[in-house]
Amino acid sequence: MTPPHEPRSKPPLRLLAPGSRTSASARASEFSECDASAGELPLIELEGIGKDYVTGPEVVHALIDVHLGIPRGQFVAIVGASGSGKSTLMNILGCLDRPSYGAYRLGGVDVGARSIDERALVRNRLIGFIFQGFNLLPRTTALENVELPLVYRGLPRRQRRRMALEALEQVGLIGRVAHRPNELSGGQQQRVAIARALVTRPPVLLADEPTGNLDSKTTLEVMELLERLVETEKITLVLVTHEDEIAARAHRVITVRDGRIEADSLAPLPPPPRRTGPEPRTSRA
Amino acid sequence: MNLLWESLRLALRSVARSGLRSALTVLGVLIGVAAVVLVVALGQSAREQIGNQIESLGTNLVYVFNGEASAGSRRGDRRGYRLSLGDADALRRALPGLRALTVYSSRAAQVVSDVTSAKVDVVGADQDYLRVRGYDLVSGRDLTLLDVQTKAKLVILGSGASQKLFGDTDPVGRSLRVGQSRFEVVGRLAPKGQNPAGGDQDDRIVMPIGAWKARVFPGNDDRVDMIIASAPTAGAIGELRDGIERVLLETHRIPVDGKPDFRLITQDTFRQNQEEIFQILSLVLVSVAAISLFVGGVGVTNVMLVSVNERRREIGTRLAVGARPADIRWQFLIEAMTLTSSGGLGGLLLALTGIFALERQLGWTMNLDLTAFALALATSLAIGLVFGLLPAQRAARLDPIAALRHE
Repeated sequence: MTPPHEPRSKPPLRLLAPGSRTSASARASEFSECDASAGELPLIELEGIGKDYVTGPEVVHALIDVHLGIPRGQFVAIVGASGSGKSTLMNILGCLDRPSYGAYRLGGVDVGARSIDERALVRNRLIGFIFQGFNLLPRTTALENVELPLVYRGLPRRQRRRMALEALEQVGLIGRVAHRPNELSGGQQQRVAIARALVTRPPVLLADEPTGNLDSKTTLEVMELLERLVETEKITLVLVTHEDEIAARAHRVITVRDGRIEADSLAPLPPPPRRTGPEPRTSRA
Repeated sequence: MNLLWESLRLALRSVARSGLRSALTVLGVLIGVAAVVLVVALGQSAREQIGNQIESLGTNLVYVFNGEASAGSRRGDRRGYRLSLGDADALRRALPGLRALTVYSSRAAQVVSDVTSAKVDVVGADQDYLRVRGYDLVSGRDLTLLDVQTKAKLVILGSGASQKLFGDTDPVGRSLRVGQSRFEVVGRLAPKGQNPAGGDQDDRIVMPIGAWKARVFPGNDDRVDMIIASAPTAGAIGELRDGIERVLLETHRIPVDGKPDFRLITQDTFRQNQEEIFQILSLVLVSVAAISLFVGGVGVTNVMLVSVNERRREIGTRLAVGARPADIRWQFLIEAMTLTSSGGLGGLLLALTGIFALERQLGWTMNLDLTAFALALATSLAIGLVFGLLPAQRAARLDPIAALRHE
């Protein structure tokens, strides 16, 4: 597997950072464009990550010795067959699961080794989740859904409200704040979910098949929204998908197979210009 | 703090949303809390009330009733009467330590005033009756030894009887007729309320026993319904009781191994009887409370387990956006406690209704204070905490990945 273009070197798979422990936000300014030049500190850094599951007498190696670095502001698509380990990879990236071995540094902090409560803090502060099934709380308004992460941050109600309204405005749903999920279309629900992921201003968005439940028109809308966030907010977007058209929109496509990274390819121009149609630009092995 | 408040808001909404299910779930808690509050209310105020009623009989009393020959009936039949005026005199002579002593006979009779007529209890007693029974005069005077000795045609009216016969006017100096005889009213008593048996202690008129026997209920003997003696101190009641027994056994010529023809009851006996009734009542209520609180608690556990299972996805989402397991645990604990305390509130209302009914029925005034409220709340919160712990723990221990995957 080789990237089809040669202006940049290979993505920073094994970029080792000096282990300084400044916070992600303080570090934010250090990251410029999604540039993977040497010396740049990646926001996400996996070093020899592995995950084993013990199921009865068998040990399943879901991930084996994964090395990966993702700089700030990059839009990365993770593709792979089901059972390839991409979900496990996402769960570890999202601090929902712990690696069996290896180090996971997020913004220079080794979050893989932290306690349950500390990982909850990481999820609350550094990561925004977007799910295939939206996972909005039923019978709860869009506004309250978006406020949820801020509740666990312990912010007072007025501040929560203000921030949630800003996030809903960002996703273009300011007119739907009092609607409950069942009163919203699928695309609107996913935009509420994106607002919920954005409201904490995290450096990283993790999206697991975010358009899997949407039709092609709303898929396009949601993707354009996500891409705009990457562009304007310098958010790092890691997106799991099995649709080639979606993956084709990413700056970089990582293919997972049998628990290993099989291919890792960059798109020609980071950040990519607005594209009108899906048009695969990466090659995969 | 913010988070707790948020959990409470959430819990209130969730409890309100499933109104019927919540109501059915907490029924046990509701009944249990009602029983607990009732126990305390009864224990606190009714016991006090009964104590007052017993006090209202007089101070440090020993009652002497006619015994077995009267077949256990308080009034008995006249052939069974053994207590007499002579017994009273003998006791007064033999027991210098007693504070006061009176004979007592009573029948209901139609009494005619210059205004109206009414049926009241007509009591024959002697000059110590008011002292023994602790009646207070609000107007007029007490009967004197001379009045009793001369069998004077004088009466003192209880407040109820006075109201019936003369309305709100002062009856002192006026007259009334019992049977064929005319009596002059010399005094009026302060109201006393009910006795422990629920009888009215104010619906009566009191006259010298001699006049009672001669004019109202003629009979050619000197038998009386009962003798009431008062000891100078509470500690002297037992001694007085033994003294009366000794004297009466002698004057009634009861053989050493014979059966006495009179019965002695002290004020303490009343109290003990009431205590026993309350203890049984309390025991029943406490059992009801314990059982229904347990059953209610198990119901709460069950419903919360179902709820946790149904809301796995929600829990997963919350964990994903940064809830710590402790936050989830508190959310469900607070929900369980909200559920049970709504039951506690319902139980409090039920108890208040019950107390209101009891007050109406028994004429007690129960001073329900904040304790009942605090108790209902504390009990139901504790039940929620204990029986909500298992489901809350289960929710907190959910693996976020599995929870998120749940459909």
